[in-house]
Amino acid sequence: MLPLKKALTSSLGKKYLMAASGIALVGFLVTHLAANLLLYLPEGELYNGYAKALHDWGPLLIVAELGLGGLFLFHAAVATGLHMKTAAARQKGYLEGQRSKGGNSRFGFPANKMIWSGGILFAFLVLHIIHFRFGPGIAEGYEAMVNGESARDLHRLVAEEFRKAHIALPYAAVMLFLGAHLRHGFWSWLQSLGAMAPKYDKIIYSLGLLVALAFALGFLGIPFWYLLDVPGMLK
Amino acid sequence: MATKSFVLKVWRQDGPDSPGTVEDLTEYAKDVNEHASFLEMLDLINERLMADGKRPIEFDSDCREGICGQCGCVVNGQAHGSQRGTTVCQLHMRSFEDGQTIVVEPFRATAFPVIKDLVVDRSAFDKIQQAGGYVSVPTGPKPDANSFKIGKEVSDRAFDAAACIGCGACVAACPNASASLFTGAKITQFALMPQGAPERKRRVSRMVETMDDLGFGHCSNIGECEAACPKEISLESIAIMKREYLKAMLAGS
Amino acid sequence: MSIVLDSGEPAGPLADKWDAFKDQMKLVSPANKRKHTILVVGTGLAGASAAATLAELGYHVKAFCIQDSPRRAHSIAAQGGINSTKNYPYDGDSVYRLFYDTIKGGDYRSRESNVHRLAQLSANIIDQCVAQGVPFAREYGGELATRSFGGAQVSRTFYAKGQTGQQLLLGAYGALNRQIDAGRVEMFERREMLDLVKVDGKARGIITRDLVTGKLEKHAGHAVLLCTGGYGRVYFLSTNAFNSNGTAAWRCHKRGALFANPCYVQIHPTCIPASGDYQSKLTLMSESLRNDGRVWVPKKHEDAEAIRNGSKTAKDIEPQDRDYYLETKYPSFGNLVPRDVASRNAKTVCDDGRGVNITGRAVFLDFETAIERDGEDAIRDRYGNLFHMYEKITGDNPYKVPMKIYPATHYTMGGLWVDYSLMTNIPGLFALGEANFSDHGANRLGASALMQGLADGYFVIPHTLGNYLATHKPAAIDESHPEFETVQQEVQDDIDSFLESHQSGSTTVIDVYRRLGQVMYDRVGMARTADGLRSAIADIRKLREEFENDVKVPQNTDFNKYLEVAFRARDFLEMAELLARDALEREESAGGHFREEHQTEDGEARRNDDDFAYVAAWEWKGDGEEHELHKEQLVFENVKLVQRSYK
Ligand SMILES: Cc1cc2nc3c(=O)[nH]c(=O)nc-3n(C[C@H](O)[C@H](O)[C@H](O)COP(=O)(O)OP(=O)(O)OC[C@H]3O[C@@H](n4cnc5c(N)ncnc54)[C@H](O)[C@@H]3O)c2cc1C
Ligand code: HEM
Ligand code: FES
Repeated sequence: MLPLKKALTSSLGKKYLMAASGIALVGFLVTHLAANLLLYLPEGELYNGYAKALHDWGPLLIVAELGLGGLFLFHAAVATGLHMKTAAARQKGYLEGQRSKGGNSRFGFPANKMIWSGGILFAFLVLHIIHFRFGPGIAEGYEAMVNGESARDLHRLVAEEFRKAHIALPYAAVMLFLGAHLRHGFWSWLQSLGAMAPKYDKIIYSLGLLVALAFALGFLGIPFWYLLDVPGMLK
Repeated sequence: MATKSFVLKVWRQDGPDSPGTVEDLTEYAKDVNEHASFLEMLDLINERLMADGKRPIEFDSDCREGICGQCGCVVNGQAHGSQRGTTVCQLHMRSFEDGQTIVVEPFRATAFPVIKDLVVDRSAFDKIQQAGGYVSVPTGPKPDANSFKIGKEVSDRAFDAAACIGCGACVAACPNASASLFTGAKITQFALMPQGAPERKRRVSRMVETMDDLGFGHCSNIGECEAACPKEISLESIAIMKREYLKAMLAGS
Repeated sequence: MSIVLDSGEPAGPLADKWDAFKDQMKLVSPANKRKHTILVVGTGLAGASAAATLAELGYHVKAFCIQDSPRRAHSIAAQGGINSTKNYPYDGDSVYRLFYDTIKGGDYRSRESNVHRLAQLSANIIDQCVAQGVPFAREYGGELATRSFGGAQVSRTFYAKGQTGQQLLLGAYGALNRQIDAGRVEMFERREMLDLVKVDGKARGIITRDLVTGKLEKHAGHAVLLCTGGYGRVYFLSTNAFNSNGTAAWRCHKRGALFANPCYVQIHPTCIPASGDYQSKLTLMSESLRNDGRVWVPKKHEDAEAIRNGSKTAKDIEPQDRDYYLETKYPSFGNLVPRDVASRNAKTVCDDGRGVNITGRAVFLDFETAIERDGEDAIRDRYGNLFHMYEKITGDNPYKVPMKIYPATHYTMGGLWVDYSLMTNIPGLFALGEANFSDHGANRLGASALMQGLADGYFVIPHTLGNYLATHKPAAIDESHPEFETVQQEVQDDIDSFLESHQSGSTTVIDVYRRLGQVMYDRVGMARTADGLRSAIADIRKLREEFENDVKVPQNTDFNKYLEVAFRARDFLEMAELLARDALEREESAGGHFREEHQTEDGEARRNDDDFAYVAAWEWKGDGEEHELHKEQLVFENVKLVQRSYK
C-alpha cells in the first residue's frame, strides 16, 4: 500500500531521511569535537597522533571519508529538494513580516532558517576540507614526530592559521550557525521520526540547547584559543 | 461606552488574478466600540465604505463563535491576531490599543489562492479529508455503541485532535505553509480510536500523498501552527502522523 | 386547486408504523439507483447524512452548500448534546418516554407518528456515530457518558464536550467525503440555491448562484432535498450563523410548498446578552450549563439596581436575598425546565426591573454551588470550552463570577410542511432537518435537533425517497429542458433589476435588516399580543418599502457578500410578515408561541386544544396577496393532552 520509494520521497519520508542523516552527522561531530578538544593542548603530540592513526587506516580512511562526504551531500541534497518545493508553497509573504504567537513555538532563526545555517555549513565544509584536509603537509614542512615516526603536524598548521584574524573570526562565526543548526536539529530529528511526545518535549528541547552550546563553544573556542594566544599566556 | 480608533491597513484584491494592494482605511476606523469583535469592526468599516460608495471589504465568516472555521485572516503578522486559542471572529477590539496600527491581510499559501480581499480558497483541505479522513462504514445497523470500550483518557485525546475547525491558520502561520497539523489532527483522532484501526495505513498514506500533491510545504517542526491554532491542537498530532506513516512504510505493501 | 394535507402515515399501532411503512414501501433496484440524480441542498447534519447515505446506496448525488466547505454548516455550532433512548444509565428511559417527552415538550403540537419514529431511531444514531469514530464523552470504564437536558427527568443526552454538533457533523462530513472520493457525490461549495424548477408539478431541479463568480447554474435531478436549516435570522440577532437563511425554503414556498407553523420559534434562555448595536450575533451558552448552573436574580430591586450601576456585585448579595426563581417555581424540574419556560421567566423577572446588566436584560447563571460541590476541575472538564468562550466574549471569568445570560432567538420549529415521508406538498421536494416543521411541535427540547437531523438523513430519507422514486417514477430529465432556462432567466432578471434599483439609497441592507430584527424580537418574540402583532405587520411592511426604495447595494456581480445578504434579507422581510400573521391567527399559547391574552393565573401558557390542535400550513398566493391557511388536524391517539406542568 505504501511502497518504500514512494514513502521516502514524500515530505514525511524526506524528513525521515533528514533526521537519519542529521543524527548520523551529529555522531560524526561528536568524534570530531572529541578529537578537536586535543587542539586545546599546547603540545601537538596527542592531536597529531590521532590524525596519524586515522591516516594509517589507508584506503579504509578514504572509504570512510567518502562515506562521510556522501552523507553530507545526501543531507544537503534532500534538504535542498525539500526547500525547493516548500519555497513554492508560499510565494507571497506577509506585508510586515510574520510574528510568532508564542507558546511552544520554536519560531525564530534556528528553526525557520535551517536551510541557511545548513547552507553556510555546507559552504564552510568545502573550504574547510580544502583548507586543512588538502592543506600543506609534510612536504611543506609541517612535520612532527609521533612515537618516533614522522607525521603531519596538523596541530601547528591549525595553531598558525588560527592566529590570523581573517581566518579565525569567520571560522568562529560559522560555528554560531552550527550551534543554531543543532539548536533546532537536536529536537527536530526526534519529532521527524514521530518519536516525540509532549511530556519529553521540554526536556529534549532544553537538552538541544545544551548540545548546541557544547558543540558551538567547543569548536568556536579553538580559533579564539590561538587568536588570543591562550597557550602562550598559559606558559 | 468606550470607543477606539485605529490606523487600519487592509489588503484589497479584486480577484484571483489581480495583483492587489494595501489600502489605508484609517479614516473609516474611527470610534469603534471596544466590545465589538474584530469582524464586527470590519462590518462597521464596510457600512461606512458603502455609505461612501466604495466597495466593502470581502471577508469570510459564518458562526462568529469560533467553531465553523470559516473566518480567518492575518492581523499584524499573526493568523487570527495576537490572542492564542482564538479565531478572528472571537478577537475583541478591547485587546487593541487606541491608535494602534492594524494590518490585515489574507492567509498566504500557494494552496490557498486568494479569491477576493481577505477571502481565500481552502478547498485543498477538503481534498485532504476526502483522501481518508473518515472511518469507512456505511449507514446501517451497527454494533451497540458501548461495544467499543474506549478509556476516557484516550477518548479525550482523540476529541482534542478532532476539535480541529479546519480554518487554515496552521498553514498561514507555518513558515513553510505546511498542512501537517491539519492532516495530523485527523490522523491522530483515528489512530487513537479502535474504530480507525483497520484502515490506518491506507488512511495515512493517502492523506499524506494528497497533502503533498496539493502544494503545501513540508513540516520542519517549527511549531508555530500549534501556537496559531484556535483550538490549540497539539504538535503531538504531527508526531503521531509521522509515526503512523513510518509504520505504514515499514509494513510496506 | 384545493390542497389536502395528508400526512401519509401508515395505519396501525403507533409503535409499528415505521416498520409497517418499511415493509410496504417500494424499492428502487440497485442498477436503477445509479440512474437517479438526487439534489441535496445543504450539508448540515441533515444534508450531509442524507447525501452520504444515498450515495452509499448507489444514487448519483449532487450536494450544495453556501460555505466554502460542507463541514461548516451551522450544525457545527451545536454544543450541548444529542438525545437517545439507549438507556445506558438504566434510569427508566424508553422509546415511549422519549416520544412522550418530545410530544409534551412540543406542547402537543406535533404529529405523533413522526415523533415516535424519531424516538425509535435515536438509538441507531448513537451506534452509527460511534462506528464512524465520533469521540463522544466517556466514563473511565470506557463506556459512553450521558447527561440530562431540559424537559427530561432521565439522563439521555450524549455529548462531546461542548462541541457535540461539531463532532457529529464531522462524522457525517467524513461519510460524505468518502462518497465524494468514490465519485458518487459531486460537491458544490459556495453555491446558493435561488430557485426551484418544477416540471409537470414535480420538483425537478434547482437554480444556484456561484457565489464566487456570480454566475447562475442549472441542476436537474429526480428529487430535491432541502436541508437548508432554520430561519432564525429573521430576528437578525440570533444564535444562528451569519449565512443561515430562509431563502431556499422561501423560494420553494413561492413555488407552491406550504410553510408550516412559522410562528413557532424558540428563544433560547441561556445566551450571552446583547450589549450594543455593533453586534452581529448572539452567542449561545449551552443549555447543559443548567445542569450545574443555578439561575437567579436579586430579590430586591435596590440590589438589582446596585448591580446594574456597578456598586454591588453578585457576591455581595446574601443567599436569602437571591431569588432562584426557577427552583422555587418549578421544584421538580428546577433549573432544567424546558427552554420556553426558562426564557419567559427570565423576561418576567427582567420586566420586573430585576435584570442584572447595564441594559437590565440579563439574569445570573451561577456555578458557585457546583464548584463547591464537585471542584473546579470537574466543572472545567464538563464545560471548559464554554467557560473559555464566555470569558473571551465578555471578559469575565465564570469560575469566579456568575455568568450573565438572556434569551435569544435560537431555533425555528416551523418550516416547510412535510408528510410522514418528509416530502412537501410538491412531489419530489423533500425537507429535512431544521428546514421542515415535523417533529418539535411548538417547542423543541434540547438535544433533539441533532437527533432529528441525523434521523432524517441517515435513517428516514433513504427509505422514503426510494419509495417516492419507485412509486412516481419521475422521467429522466436534464438541464436542457426549457423550464430550466425559463426559471434561470427569471432569477437573472430579478438580480439585474434588483441591482439596478439599488444603486443608490440613504441606508444599507444591514440597517434595515437590523431594524426588522428589533421589530420581530420585541413584538413577535417571547411574548406576543394581538395589538403588538398587528403593529409589527404594519412596521414590517414599512421596512419592506424602505428596503425596496432606499437601500444601496454594492453593484458588482461577482463575489459580493452584501448582495447575498440583501437577497436573504429581502426574503426575510416577506417571511416576517407570515410569522406575525401566523402568530396572530393562533389564538392560544403553545410552547414557544406565547400570547399574553392566553395564559393561566400563574402566567403559564394556556393552549386551546379544541380550536388549535392543528398544523397551520400556509400557501403563497402571489406577490401582494394574502397567504391562505390550510390546516392539518393533529390526532392524538396515544397521549392525553394535558396542561404542561414542570412544577
Ligand atoms: C448555537 C447552536 C447550538 C445548538 N445546540 C444544539 C444542541 O446542543 N443539541 C441539538 O440537538 N441541537 C442544537 N442546535 C440546533 C441544531 O444545531 C440545528 O437545528 C441543526 O444542526 C440543523 O441542522 P440542519 O442540517 O437542518 O441545518 P444546518 O446545519 O443549518 O445546515 C444548513 C445547510 O444548508 C446550506 N444552505 C442554506 N441555505 C442554502 C441555499 N439557499 N443554498 C445552498 N445551501 C444552503 C448551508 O450552507 C448549510 O450547509 C443548536 C443550534 C445552534 C444555532
Ligand atoms: C555538521 C553538519 C550537520 C549536522 C550535524 C546536521 C544536523 C542536522 C539535524 C540533526 C537535523 C534535524 C533533522 C530533522 O529535522 O529531522 C538537520 C536538519 C537540517 N539540516 Fe542539517 N546538519 C548538518 C549539515 C547540514 C548541511 C551541510 C545542510 C545543507 C544544506 C543542512 C541542512 C539542513 C536542513 C535544511 C535541515 C532542516 C530540514 C527541514 O526543513 O526540516 N544541514 N540537520
Ligand atoms: S466565523 Fe466561524 S470560526 Fe470564525
